[in-house]
Amino acid sequence: MTAVSAHPEGVRVQLDAGGHSIDAIQRAAYRLCDRLSVEVTSNGDNWSCLVTSVDGCGPDPIDVADFRVEVIDQVLRERIRDSTEQTRNMILSLAFSGLVDQAPE
Amino acid sequence: MTFHRLPAGRVVVANAAGEHVLLERSEFLELSEGRLEDLRLIRLLRSKHIIRDPADSLPVELLALKVRTRYAALAEFTKLHIFVVTLRCEHSCQYCQVSRRSSNREGYDMSEATAVAALDVAFRTPSSSLKIEFQGGEPLLNFELIQFIVQQAEQRALELDKDVSFVITTNLALLDDNVIRFCRTHDIGISTSLDGPRDIHNANRPRPGQNSWELAVEGIRRVQEELGHNSIAALMTTTEASLGRAVEIVDTYVELDLLDVFLRPISPYGLAIRSRSHLAYDVEAWLRFYSDGLSHILDLNRLGVPVVERYAAVILRKMLTNDESGYVDLRSPAGIGIAAIVYNYDGDVYASDEGRMLAEMADTTFRLGNLHEDQYEDFVLGEALLAPLDESFALSAPMCSECAFERYCGADPVYHHATTGDFLGRKPLSAFCQRNTGVFELLVERHHDDSFARGQFRKWASR
Repeated sequence: MTAVSAHPEGVRVQLDAGGHSIDAIQRAAYRLCDRLSVEVTSNGDNWSCLVTSVDGCGPDPIDVADFRVEVIDQVLRERIRDSTEQTRNMILSLAFSGLVDQAPE
Repeated sequence: MTFHRLPAGRVVVANAAGEHVLLERSEFLELSEGRLEDLRLIRLLRSKHIIRDPADSLPVELLALKVRTRYAALAEFTKLHIFVVTLRCEHSCQYCQVSRRSSNREGYDMSEATAVAALDVAFRTPSSSLKIEFQGGEPLLNFELIQFIVQQAEQRALELDKDVSFVITTNLALLDDNVIRFCRTHDIGISTSLDGPRDIHNANRPRPGQNSWELAVEGIRRVQEELGHNSIAALMTTTEASLGRAVEIVDTYVELDLLDVFLRPISPYGLAIRSRSHLAYDVEAWLRFYSDGLSHILDLNRLGVPVVERYAAVILRKMLTNDESGYVDLRSPAGIGIAAIVYNYDGDVYASDEGRMLAEMADTTFRLGNLHEDQYEDFVLGEALLAPLDESFALSAPMCSECAFERYCGADPVYHHATTGDFLGRKPLSAFCQRNTGVFELLVERHHDDSFARGQFRKWASR
């Protein structure tokens, strides 16, 4: 569950801690650090993200929407990477399998 | 099982090996709701391992075998070795993907020492067959080095019991008797650029004398006559000037007896991105261009002219067989390093030709090292290669992981890095994804709706 509310310094985005890892949120925040500053604090079952604009003019709603989409993107990347890790490693191992017998000249 | 809804309502359903069926919306609903009753549909779905009797393990084993077959070629690590023998060129193509230099400026030619170091690396690769491709600039400006490399490579191939073949990518303006003779002796293929009719080609490729098209045509005919029609292939690059003229472009190829046409988009690298020419048209415009070109090619085939659209052939091989095509840009894991590697004139080694082009714009993300400073293991086991391979893996990517076309598509970390700063990109915004999805949809529908196209596609898939 995501909730967005106004804040004197910007916009507060609440993200359900069960569905969003702190790692994903921080990666998303970093991706938009040219436009937004995101301060993340724990608030019980939620992550509370105070989103402000780096130019001090108040966050553009488009940038806030971008942040929310980026969070979803990072959550999905994390989840799918985890669930496909064995398959990915197996296929990449196959690709590099021919190098095993390579001996330096 | 994955699925993809086509714009008109039908649904593509694919299995883990990439085999697919095309269902009507009602049929897909029956499948997804578990209420299949139509025996014909049940037989079809079982034949493609979309469904199975829970007690029957054979379909799973067959599917696993097909998936293993698809990935088997991965172990043939690095078949394509690109030698950039010079950065010099006498053309000024607007979309040139390298920073060209005047043909009079020295210091941009590969040395013999660098060439030997590159050959040392190339012949370390596990692949039993190597293809050495000479690129530039204009590689014929350093023809002496090409001759040296070919002779050295042939000797090493003999000693190591490997196959080696050669291609020179050239604008043909410098083709002479000496080059022809050498190519004939060593069975060297020629790859050149032909953007279509004279006005399109010359507008894209200015050179002193404004006669690039005339020289290209003269060169093509000469190679065909003296080396054989199979010795030369041409590639076109789409620019804004090409849009709406797919038929004329294909006809130009046919008039020159070039029966392989590769309808390519423009890439966002090198001069293309500096000149912003890659922004000149959107994906939908290119897809219309591609569709027109493909339709015309199929019509020509109906008239008995055996023209092939090469991009379709690459995809159809993946779509209709269990084989991979070897096409570097449409693979997952990505083809960088695994399928191809680039040795630049200055000894720098890159994961792909596009990675080299980015480096010309001061982005060395895909630089794997230098021939005079690093070892083979540094190039192929370093983070510069492993990180983009791992991060761009399509089966681990949002949207790709559940896409019915994933097996036909690829990861292109260089493209996504160049356009978004991220090896993976965000697929809803990716022109690479949009473009390829459009082509897959077009080919699936044609394959299923047009019996003549279906026959042609099967031939193209097995060539």
